[in-house]
Amino acid sequence: MAFEVVMPRLGWNMETGSLFEWLKQDGDRVEAGEILFTVESDKAIQEVEALESGILRIPPDTPPPGKPVPVGTLLAYLVTPGEELPFVAQAETAPAQKQTAATPSPTRAVPVTVPHMSERKRPAVSPRAARVASELGVDWTPLKGSGRTGRIVERDVRQAAAVTPATEETLPSGVRVSPVARRVAHELGVNLEQLAAQMPGKRIERADVEAAARKVVSAAPSAPRMPAPAATGDVVLPITQIRRITAERMVASAHNAASATLTTEADATELVRLRNQLTSDITQLVPSYSDLLTKLVAQALIEHPQVNARFMGESIVQSATVNIGIAVDTERGLLVPVVYDVQTKSLRQIAQESAAMIERARSGRLSPDDLHGGTFTITNLGMYEIDTFTPIINLPECAILGVGRIMPKQVVVDVEAERVAVRHMMFLSLTFDHRLVDGAPAAHFLQTIKHLIECPWRVLV
Amino acid sequence: MREITFVEAAREGLTEEMARDPSVFVVGEGIGSRGGNFNTTVGLYDLYGPERLRDTPISERGFTTLCTGAAVTGARPVVDFMFIDFLTDAFGDMFNQMAKLQWMSNGRIKMPIVLRGCVGVFGSNAAHHSGNYFPFFLHIPGFHLVMPTTPADAKGLLKTAIRSDNPVLFLEHKGLLNVKGPVPEGEHLVPFGQAAVRREGKDVTVVGIAFMVIKALEAAGQLAQEGISVEVIDPRTLAPLDIDTILASVHKTGRLLVVDEDYAPCGVAAEIATQVMEQAFDDLDAPIQRLNGAFAPAPYSPVLAESVLPGTKQILQAVRDLLAE
Repeated sequence: MAFEVVMPRLGWNMETGSLFEWLKQDGDRVEAGEILFTVESDKAIQEVEALESGILRIPPDTPPPGKPVPVGTLLAYLVTPGEELPFVAQAETAPAQKQTAATPSPTRAVPVTVPHMSERKRPAVSPRAARVASELGVDWTPLKGSGRTGRIVERDVRQAAAVTPATEETLPSGVRVSPVARRVAHELGVNLEQLAAQMPGKRIERADVEAAARKVVSAAPSAPRMPAPAATGDVVLPITQIRRITAERMVASAHNAASATLTTEADATELVRLRNQLTSDITQLVPSYSDLLTKLVAQALIEHPQVNARFMGESIVQSATVNIGIAVDTERGLLVPVVYDVQTKSLRQIAQESAAMIERARSGRLSPDDLHGGTFTITNLGMYEIDTFTPIINLPECAILGVGRIMPKQVVVDVEAERVAVRHMMFLSLTFDHRLVDGAPAAHFLQTIKHLIECPWRVLV
Repeated sequence: MREITFVEAAREGLTEEMARDPSVFVVGEGIGSRGGNFNTTVGLYDLYGPERLRDTPISERGFTTLCTGAAVTGARPVVDFMFIDFLTDAFGDMFNQMAKLQWMSNGRIKMPIVLRGCVGVFGSNAAHHSGNYFPFFLHIPGFHLVMPTTPADAKGLLKTAIRSDNPVLFLEHKGLLNVKGPVPEGEHLVPFGQAAVRREGKDVTVVGIAFMVIKALEAAGQLAQEGISVEVIDPRTLAPLDIDTILASVHKTGRLLVVDEDYAPCGVAAEIATQVMEQAFDDLDAPIQRLNGAFAPAPYSPVLAESVLPGTKQILQAVRDLLAE
């Protein structure tokens, strides 16, 4: 068996040493006790004797004399006569030997499974999660634990409250707020701590928050001059959170994006025919024109990924998914809920989701997640008899499609034969950000939408 | 700031205290002209000679009890055990006399004695020279126990220990002796009972004992690349223990791992875990985890020795498991 010759530790604090000189040569017969090599460490040159007898075999990649190496580094082997050179084989088996050595390993407390899990009437919950649940007014009993042992933990409670720690307002202990009230307070910009102080002991509910919001008159975003004071008969309204956010976003878009709007008129006759066919099936929810356009626009975005893009730091990110925001006018203001992964969804799914979201938008029950993550927006003013307009880009998206009304018109269908027909025509207005995409590609994209509207079956191929 | 080794820093602290107070003297095997097996007293014999650097025979019970008497009668002995394992011979009079005389004399007797030695599994020192033995001193009323992990703390804590009127265990992990770090010149005292937050984080708290602080910091660095933010706490002194720093951290993170190469049963990790459970139960999002050395005497073989210790790999896995809870 080959014996390993290693850099020895020649002092308590010696960490490294360098081989000074081999006193035997490769292939020499060495007896135990003979001086084999010398080592240079901090102070002096020290002799090292062979601890075994054998033939000295020095591997070609052994540390050269003069190079400091850690104590324990392999320098050579002493093999029995006739033995195979151990260089490669030994190196491969040495790590395996380490792994298979049956040694006691560092002890750690075994991860405890929740005791009597199956007998529990309520799920297990961590103490912290229970505390946070009571602070946020969340009932944790119906939650599902994401903890490895099935335990409900803090993150499960926070998700249920639909409030992230970054945005959550920490309230003094003892203040109870319903989860709905907390969300509405966040949207309307009502300070919960102040409100709680006005009604100590009461569990704050949505009605309390909305009443407080109506009383608030907040300062307008910075204006260069003081506007004229209100005269009698004027109606003075508070600037709601949603108005403020819309104003900030619109002005940011106007200032930052290099917006240009393209318009085209599409022949929507086939689209109208398709929708009528879908209307005849009364058992299913009828997709709206917005739903149909969402599906078609998603297809166009797949074909034109540079429009489904946004700036991110020093890069431009082309999104793998198409998430389309649908502009919804509500009592409180403009909201743009997002349908995610449109490219994977059927028209029916899109119709169901958008109907649900519009309902939630109108009743004020959208969550922050519903409003984020869009890659494109569609805004439809056709119901107000609008044809073309210049929609404002919903940053950080690249473009927004404004949809006008569908109007029956007399149009030329065959120039040579000088034949006209009555067709359903629809104007499309695409505002795009010229920083991200140029006019020609944007125009090509709009043309693709136009062609899809004119021949909707193209979406199948 | 200049950087010196842990050993040099502790020695600087000892040198300054011996210069400042002539009643400070050192007792131990080889600490005289040899300068100490771990270089703890190099250069001091030349300054003060055999009167204040007293070489002893190999009889720990004898010379420790002599120093107990010396402390009682007004001197300030530093007993240098070399390997802390040797101190176990002196347990009897340490626990019955050294620890109790202040109480039994109703405070008339002071016990200004420092007991120093090297601890830890390191360098193939094997079963008799690799002990830690922290819990014994945490469990008996009357002892203080400090374990610096940086050269600056080595100097500062040794100076504070020498000036203390209580028995203080000053334990130096063998793996840290040659670690270099910035050390302030001149008067630099580190108070007892003040932990150091070595790395700030928000996802999980890891308390490291002695050399395990280094391992924990290595693991934290790697975990940061996985997006996991680890807060690493170095208690620096175990008796008194700064539990408040640990509690504040657990309040932030909700998850605690204590890494100690010493054995698990009734160990430092068990004590910290219990105190945190008692005082911060509602801050815990998961059970507290301990990572200890294997419950076996330290092996001689380097391969085996490595396998009984909590390493960076084990800490990484323990943190990931803790976050999955």
